Amino acid sequence: MAQDRNTQIDYTSPVRRILIGLMGLFCVALLLLWRIDSPRVELFRAALVDKLVPSYEWASVPIHRLAGMVEDFQSYQRIWDQNRELRRELQQMKAWKEAAVQLEQQNAKLLALNNVQLDPKLTSVSGVVIADSGSPFRQSLLLNIGRNDGIVDGWATMDGLGLVGRISGVGRSTSRVLLLTDSASRIPITLQPSGQRAILTGDNSSAPPIDFLENADLVRPGDQVVTSGDGGVFPAGLLVGQVTQGRDRRLRVRLSADYERLEFLRVLRSHRAEVINDTGGLIVPSQQVPPPVPPPVPLTDATPGETGLAAGGDDG
Amino acid sequence: MMVDPIAARMWLFRGVFVLLVSIFAFFRLLPLDSAPGALPGPDLMLALTFAWVLRRPGYVPAVIIVGVFLVCDLIFHRPPGLWALLMLLGSEFLRARQDLSRGMPFILEWTLVTGVIVAMVTANHLVLALLVVDRPPLGLSVLRGFFTTLIYPLVVGVSYLVFDVRKASPEEVTALGARL
Repeated sequence: MAQDRNTQIDYTSPVRRILIGLMGLFCVALLLLWRIDSPRVELFRAALVDKLVPSYEWASVPIHRLAGMVEDFQSYQRIWDQNRELRRELQQMKAWKEAAVQLEQQNAKLLALNNVQLDPKLTSVSGVVIADSGSPFRQSLLLNIGRNDGIVDGWATMDGLGLVGRISGVGRSTSRVLLLTDSASRIPITLQPSGQRAILTGDNSSAPPIDFLENADLVRPGDQVVTSGDGGVFPAGLLVGQVTQGRDRRLRVRLSADYERLEFLRVLRSHRAEVINDTGGLIVPSQQVPPPVPPPVPLTDATPGETGLAAGGDDG
Repeated sequence: MMVDPIAARMWLFRGVFVLLVSIFAFFRLLPLDSAPGALPGPDLMLALTFAWVLRRPGYVPAVIIVGVFLVCDLIFHRPPGLWALLMLLGSEFLRARQDLSRGMPFILEWTLVTGVIVAMVTANHLVLALLVVDRPPLGLSVLRGFFTTLIYPLVVGVSYLVFDVRKASPEEVTALGARL
C-alpha cells in the first residue's frame, strides 16, 4: 500500500509541476501580450464579457429590483428628513418656476410683437414702458413712443396677450396709456359665445366689471371678451379677457394682458372707421340724360292703337 | 461501473467551488453601487480558495483556480493573467504547506494566509508598476486585503458548517490510497 502511494506521487508530481509551470507561463504570456498588444486582448475580453454578462440578466434584474425595494424601505425610515429636504427643494423649485414663467411670458410677448398677424390696416408701433404712474386713482403708463412715431390719441394698446388700454395723451416722444382698470376707462365689448354687447367699466380694481349687459343669463364665467368696435374708437375683435364672477355676484372681466409685468406694448394704428352719415338717397336716373329715342314705328295695320297712344304720351 | 464516492464528492465540490465563485462574481457585477468612494469589500473568492486549499486541496485543483480567476480578470477589467498568476502562486505555496498546516492551530494558519495575501497585494502592485499600467490606489488595495483577512475565519467557519469542508484526518484516503 505504502509502495503504491509512493509510486503514484512520484509519477504525478513532476507532471503536475510542469502543468503548473505551463499555466503560470500562460498567465505571464497573456499579461505581456495584453501589455504589448492591448487592443486585441481587449477585443477578446469584450467578446467574453458580451458572452457571459448578459446571461446574468435573468438573475440580476430581480435582485436589482429587490435592492431597490430594500432601499425604498430604508427611505421610509428617514421619511421625515426627506420631507424636509423636499420642502426645501420645492421652495427652490418655486423660485425657478417663477423665473421660468416670467421668461415664458416675456418670450410670448416679444414673439407676438414680432410676428403678430392682424388685419393689414392694423399695423402697430411697439414701445417700451418707461414709467408706471399707477396709483390708486390713476391707472396709466408712459410709453417711449409719441407724436414723432405717429401715435394718435385714442389708439388701442396691447401687450402680447391682450388689450391693455388706450392712448390718452401724446407727447413728442412719449405717450400715456390709460389702462382698462382706470376708473375713467370705458370700452365697448362683445361677450363672445352669446354675442352680447356691453361696456367694460374700469373701477380701479384688477378685474373691471361689465356694465350695460342686456341679458346676464346668457353669460357664463369663462366666456371670452373682445372689443366690439362700437363707436369707432377701437378696432373690433381685440382680445380683452375672460368673464369671471366676483364675490359680489357681479360679472367682471379677468384681463388677458399681464398687468403685473407690462414691459413692451404695441400701439395699434387704427384708422377711423368709415361712418355712414346720410340716410341713403334714392338712386334715380338724372334728368339731363335724354330719353332713348324710340325705334321707328313700322306703319302697319296690325297695331294702330298702340302707336297712337305712344305718340300721344310723348307729346303730353 | 461503480462510482468512487470520495471521487464523486470531490467532483461535486469542485462544481460547488466554481458555483460559489460565480455567485461572488455575480454580486460584484451587480450595478448596486456605482457611486465611487465606497469602501472595497473583502475578496471572498480569495478567502474561499485559500480556505479550501488548506483543507481539501483536491477540491480546488490548480487548473480550476487558474481558469476561474482568468475569467474573473477578464470580466472585472483587470490586467488579464496577473491576478490569476498570483492566485496560482499563492495557492501553490499554501498547498505545499498543507501537510504542515494540518497540525497547525488556526491562529497560525490565519497568519500564514495573511502573509500570503500581503505578498500578493504587494506583488500585484510591483508588477503593475513594472509594466507601467494604471494601478488602483494602493490604499484601497491594502484595505481590501485587510478586509479579506478579517473575513477569512468567517469563510472557514461557513465552509465547515455548511459545506463540511474541514481538514482531513490522517485516516482519510482516496480509493487509490492516496492521502487527501
